[in-house]
Amino acid sequence: MQILVCLKQVPDKDSRYKIDSAGTGIDEEDLVFETNESDQYALEEGLRLREKFGGEVVLLSLGGERVLKSIKNGLAMGADRALHLTGSEFQGSDASVVASAIRRAMATEAFDLVLTGVQSDDLGFGQTGTILAELLGWVHATIVVEIDIQPETRTVRVKRELESNLFEQVEIPLPAVLAIQSGINQPRYATLKGIMQAKKKEIKTLTPAILGMQPGDLGSTGSRVDHRRLFFPEKRKQTVMIEGEPEEAAKRLVEKLRKEARVL
Amino acid sequence: MSEEILVLIEHRGGKARAISWEAIGFGQKLAGLLNREMAVVLLGHEVDALAAEMTQRCGQAVLVASSPQLESYTPEAYCAVLSQLVCQRSPWLLLLGHTYQAIDFAPRLAAMLGRGLIPNCVDFRWDGTQLTFVRQVFNGKLNLEVGFKGSPPHLVSLQQGAFSAYDVQSASNPKLVHVDAALTPEVLKRKVLGILKTAQGQVDLTQADIIVAGGRGLANKEKFQIILDLAQVLGAGVGASRPVTDGGWLPKEHQIGSSGQTVAPKLYIACGISGAIQHLVGMSNSGCIVAINKDPNAPIFSIADYGIVGDVFKVVPVLIEAAKEIRK
Ligand SMILES: Cc1cc2nc3c(=O)[nH]c(=O)nc-3n(C[C@H](O)[C@H](O)[C@H](O)COP(=O)(O)OP(=O)(O)OC[C@H]3O[C@@H](n4cnc5c(N)ncnc54)[C@H](O)[C@@H]3O)c2cc1C
Ligand SMILES: Nc1ncnc2c1ncn2[C@@H]1O[C@H](COP(=O)(O)O)[C@@H](O)[C@H]1O
Repeated sequence: MQILVCLKQVPDKDSRYKIDSAGTGIDEEDLVFETNESDQYALEEGLRLREKFGGEVVLLSLGGERVLKSIKNGLAMGADRALHLTGSEFQGSDASVVASAIRRAMATEAFDLVLTGVQSDDLGFGQTGTILAELLGWVHATIVVEIDIQPETRTVRVKRELESNLFEQVEIPLPAVLAIQSGINQPRYATLKGIMQAKKKEIKTLTPAILGMQPGDLGSTGSRVDHRRLFFPEKRKQTVMIEGEPEEAAKRLVEKLRKEARVL
Repeated sequence: MSEEILVLIEHRGGKARAISWEAIGFGQKLAGLLNREMAVVLLGHEVDALAAEMTQRCGQAVLVASSPQLESYTPEAYCAVLSQLVCQRSPWLLLLGHTYQAIDFAPRLAAMLGRGLIPNCVDFRWDGTQLTFVRQVFNGKLNLEVGFKGSPPHLVSLQQGAFSAYDVQSASNPKLVHVDAALTPEVLKRKVLGILKTAQGQVDLTQADIIVAGGRGLANKEKFQIILDLAQVLGAGVGASRPVTDGGWLPKEHQIGSSGQTVAPKLYIACGISGAIQHLVGMSNSGCIVAINKDPNAPIFSIADYGIVGDVFKVVPVLIEAAKEIRK
């Protein structure tokens, strides 16, 4: 089983953001980055499938130098090798550009399965894997919380999350693109041995030129939506902020909940 | 070139979902502002009763694509029928609710049409010439204004609840139009084996007056205990954000949000929860919302009635003691 796992690197959940001078992106300077949450689950799922069926787990990440950290961590967790799609022209790309770059990177390979996360925690398009499936002409399944592969029939049964505690079970043919939801498994940690072994694993660099992509296909020019302005949201409610040391604040809160809001 | 706005309806058990009515109301608002036609699109099998209800209630043209192959949803059938419909009518805009169904097929439909999809919008701006939409990004800490690019049709999905202010008007052009829903067998690549509900267990939080909910900020299963303790002294139900149930700190049934329960207690105390939109849709209608979070910029504060910026491990133990006092 040849499995491609897509890893996006995103700012750490607790980041405080500054908007960049162009007003459409964030200032990356003081931020710490990590692998997108659902992608970590996708990687673990890929590793488990390889342990069961053999083959390779290949990582793919599109982004600057910094994404090598996510790639190396994935290799240390046990992935076999990696594709690093990089070039400043990719900056500002939407999901359709990223999906077509991934498709091009797959051209010289023969994968049975692509695993992505459900959505990225930064721009949250929730689209990359599904667009990729369309470009490949493969079947896709999103919000996947269970995978059961039938190698004899080359099919996969997946359980998909629906709203309000409902689930759907479907059977689809391979090759397929699956968008993995968090909670599907408990991702492993990289071991010291894994970290040592990762140093010898191949990371192939693929630039837009190598992928045969023109500058006009990339970044905001190549994108199908127009990101105009990033801004801090307005508050929707007048919040009473309770100041002071924790001790005092907690007591005042209880007071207010009893006397003002009358909910205790 | 058509000026039309199409609104896709999502239905379950013979009823349109609430988000679809919101989308119709907003579609009508836009059609008015931009002076365009609007129509409603309904896919399914034997949905005439629903179609009739829709025509009546919104007085709008309802386009019905009916086929046994549309009885249960599949992205392949939906994409095939909708792409045909879009090619025939070449609408200006296709509006959808940002439901899990739309998450599943709309990006693919957009790709088939070679167009972009602006997902999960919470607001819009119309300055008389330009239309843009507002999306939440970076886990709700920032908003992004997004515009269309290239030629129509444009695709936009709307966050549940965000456009509920636009009531459905009863327009005066009700008509029911059957449209083509021809599907070739090779379109149908998947077998839907069934829909299941999780064992709901004993955890029904919809009836609770007070809910104490904890998130990733509680750090781990052992430390999460203080949430259970606070809930106990308050006689409250225990809720959780997704990372808590993903990590197995609490059973899945405690999850509040789009994938879990939707609740509206008198009092909701959110501890160490950032306030991602998928969580907010499950609890934002609560009577009184308290947020305790160490990050003053956490989006949960934007919907809270009372907020404490601080460490849950310092604040919650004092709350437990104070609550014990008043219970005496
Ligand atoms: C399709 C889909 C469905 C989803 N469904 C759901 C759903 O049903 N329910 C749901 O909840 N989520 C759902 N999510 C996930 C959602 O997007 C968020 O990732 C999740 O809600 C975040 O949980 P959190 O707030 O606990 O964690 P985080 O976003 O990591 O926030 C943790 C917060 O704790 C604060 N904190 C940390 N330490 C402390 C401390 N010591 N004291 C005080 N505060 C502290 C931090 O400042 C931060 O604000 C879904 C996502 C997708 C894509
Ligand atoms: N730059 C990227 N590099 C690698 N994978 C990506 C990238 N962008 C998106 N993905 C994958 O696509 C999924 C959905 O992302 P998005 O469509 O941006 O919400 C992510 O969870 C990743 O698995």
